[in-house]
Amino acid sequence: MAVDATPRPIRLVVRDDDLRRSRLTVFFRFFLAIPHFIWVTLWGMAAFVVAFILWLAVLIEGKAPENLHDFVAGYVRYATHVSAYVFLAANPYPGFRGAPGYPVDVEIDPPERQSRWTGFFRLVLALPALMLAGALGSGFAVGTTLGGGTAGAAAVYAGAGVGALAAFLAWFVGVVRGAAPRGLRDLIAYALAYGAETAGYVLLLTGRYPSSDPSLVQPAAELPAHPVRIEVTDDLRRSRLTVLFRLLLAIPHFVWLTLWLVPACFAVIAAWLVAIALGRVPSALHRFLAAYVRYWTHVLAFVTVVGRRFPGFTGREGSYGIDVVIEPPVRQRRLKTLFRFFLAVPASIVAGALGGVLFVVGVLGWWAALVRGQMPEGMRNLGASCLRYNAQTYAYLLLVTDRYPYASPVLAGRPEPATEPPSLALPWDAF
Amino acid sequence: MPGDLTLPAVDVERTFGAGFVQEARRYERFFYVVWVLAQIALLATLWLYARRGTAFIRESSAGPIGTGMLLAMLGLGIVWLVILPFRLASHWWDRRNDQSDLDYFSWLFEDWAVLGAEFLSICIALLIVMGLARWLGERWWLPGAAVFVAIAALFNFVAPYLDFTTEPLRDKALLASAERYEGELGLSSIPIRVEEVSGYTDQANAYAFGFGPSRRVVFWDTVLQEPFSGGEQRVVLAHELAHHSQNHLPEGIAWFALFSVPGAWILMRTTRRRGGMGAPEAIPLALLVVVVFQLVTTPLANTISRRMEAEADWKALQVTRDPASLEGLMVGFSETGLGDPDPPAWTQLVFGTHPSLADRVAMARAWAARSGN
Repeated sequence: MAVDATPRPIRLVVRDDDLRRSRLTVFFRFFLAIPHFIWVTLWGMAAFVVAFILWLAVLIEGKAPENLHDFVAGYVRYATHVSAYVFLAANPYPGFRGAPGYPVDVEIDPPERQSRWTGFFRLVLALPALMLAGALGSGFAVGTTLGGGTAGAAAVYAGAGVGALAAFLAWFVGVVRGAAPRGLRDLIAYALAYGAETAGYVLLLTGRYPSSDPSLVQPAAELPAHPVRIEVTDDLRRSRLTVLFRLLLAIPHFVWLTLWLVPACFAVIAAWLVAIALGRVPSALHRFLAAYVRYWTHVLAFVTVVGRRFPGFTGREGSYGIDVVIEPPVRQRRLKTLFRFFLAVPASIVAGALGGVLFVVGVLGWWAALVRGQMPEGMRNLGASCLRYNAQTYAYLLLVTDRYPYASPVLAGRPEPATEPPSLALPWDAF
Repeated sequence: MPGDLTLPAVDVERTFGAGFVQEARRYERFFYVVWVLAQIALLATLWLYARRGTAFIRESSAGPIGTGMLLAMLGLGIVWLVILPFRLASHWWDRRNDQSDLDYFSWLFEDWAVLGAEFLSICIALLIVMGLARWLGERWWLPGAAVFVAIAALFNFVAPYLDFTTEPLRDKALLASAERYEGELGLSSIPIRVEEVSGYTDQANAYAFGFGPSRRVVFWDTVLQEPFSGGEQRVVLAHELAHHSQNHLPEGIAWFALFSVPGAWILMRTTRRRGGMGAPEAIPLALLVVVVFQLVTTPLANTISRRMEAEADWKALQVTRDPASLEGLMVGFSETGLGDPDPPAWTQLVFGTHPSLADRVAMARAWAARSGN
């Protein structure tokens, strides 16, 4: 199933690329948002009731009445503004009317005809999207919608997952530097975009199923050059038999990964000592550790159905459809090498949260591929982008590169320039 | 066991009870039908897989050995799926006849775990075979068989040390008997352990494993409970110790070696047209060959096993001097396991790893007659 290229009826638009943040408002952001929490809860309750009327209207007429549609659409827009403000994806204090024009905004098309059948089963059909939205921490729109406006459900959807974790890290950076890291901002914007689409689907604003493709956000975020990149050459077809037994088929790979981990640990220690002494990881160690990072990514891609084929056991570059391209070794800053383990902690937190997303992608993708013999492209791309971030984190931790992982969920970017780029000073420069 | 031993006829209906024998036959008949149908399905599936299975090569990005592993695991997976309904039917029948308390979910979960272990085992086996075949060409079969025999021996030796599920036997009377029997059988002190299985089955069992310093005897806790008497438990103990005194486990490995060598040679010959065992294209066919070889050699393997079991029974009688308990034990086994005491001859060829219960009762009576008890 290819990603539908036609414009989506619910679109998240980043209108303002300004990453500057007021330190004071960042510091008190959560408390400043308290009036919005109350208002979003009340509006959410009302939207839930109106959505029930929309549901009846869709069942009877096959289309939602325009005024009711606008009321619920206003709520989704407003909840997204509040989420963007709380998650530090935007800086200005949002208005209480959900009026268009906020720096992180949602555009929602007028009502269209919807299938009565999918309308009738909307909540059941939305379950996979809600699972993914939960893992992504997609903001208040989904939470208050699902819980009938209750704050508890809102907290579950807004306070957990990748979006919330990214906001937590962005808060520290924002307080210290007075700016939001671009990668984290893009990641939060993506989570909010998916949340808005999911809320719109559940609340019957559209009959179009949410897409998990990382290129949802407009304008599409750009991936900066990085020495660790992912290359997707795989197709979307999946053999149902290999999907059914996927986890069991990976058992020899799990064993081999575990065995490989032992020399990899020794290699990292050796690389760390040499890099501190010489400012460079020897080529042989670099190749060995890079192969481990690649192999680990191949196996994870296979297990989560993001990759189609059974991977080889050597982590050879170019041997798998979801591949990691790693540049040759370059000089690494000694200070960054010395504190590598501590510097990698924030990236590891994000990688862990993206691992949760990858798990959900694996579960949903498994079902989808088993039933249809094909992996949905949006889900495959989301999985691949999670794998890209995790590979970059591993590569950073294992001293394959000293470039910090970049959190934006975008899959492809510019190739690495041939010349050796300057190393970034601190992790948050590249988040 | 004396060479001139002739077993007296046993009236199974009188010994085991006419009603029970009828019930046991009805119970086992179901399994015979299921087994025959499952074997037909298994062979048909593997035959089809041998013809079409190579299509799955396109699902692999691995090298020849990795691809071979994938094809072998998929083959096992398909077989598992095809056999699943038959296994489910057998489990249903067991539950219906109070032979298992395991609920269907736990049963299925356990089955997946077993399948995972099988996947790993076949990968290791293929790593050896394909690695040798790619290195030595068609001459792989002899060192290949030797490696598998060595692994079997190593596994048998090490397995007791890897057993963390059993507890030491605490029954002092039984431990005292064990010491006496070991003396008579010429064995040094062998640990006797107990495995708790009563949570999910009523069936009774015990086994000997390991060799040399790793020798052990394990009782299922069901044997140490009603309806088995102290005398019957001692017979079980003596029987398992006799396996060690007669070196049945090393002998079993030697037999395995005798089967492995021709088995590996046949595998080499039959897969030649597909590029030999070094090529992944040969793996689906190899699975079929292995299963057919196992099926064909099962009657012979069972005959060897029955001879060893009969020998252990005879030794147990010699040290316990208690034929009545052996007879009682067999009646107890048939009741707890709902086993047909005198099954049809063909089923003994296929399933009979032990002599029939009627034959074992006959042996107890023959021993009693010889010794004047």
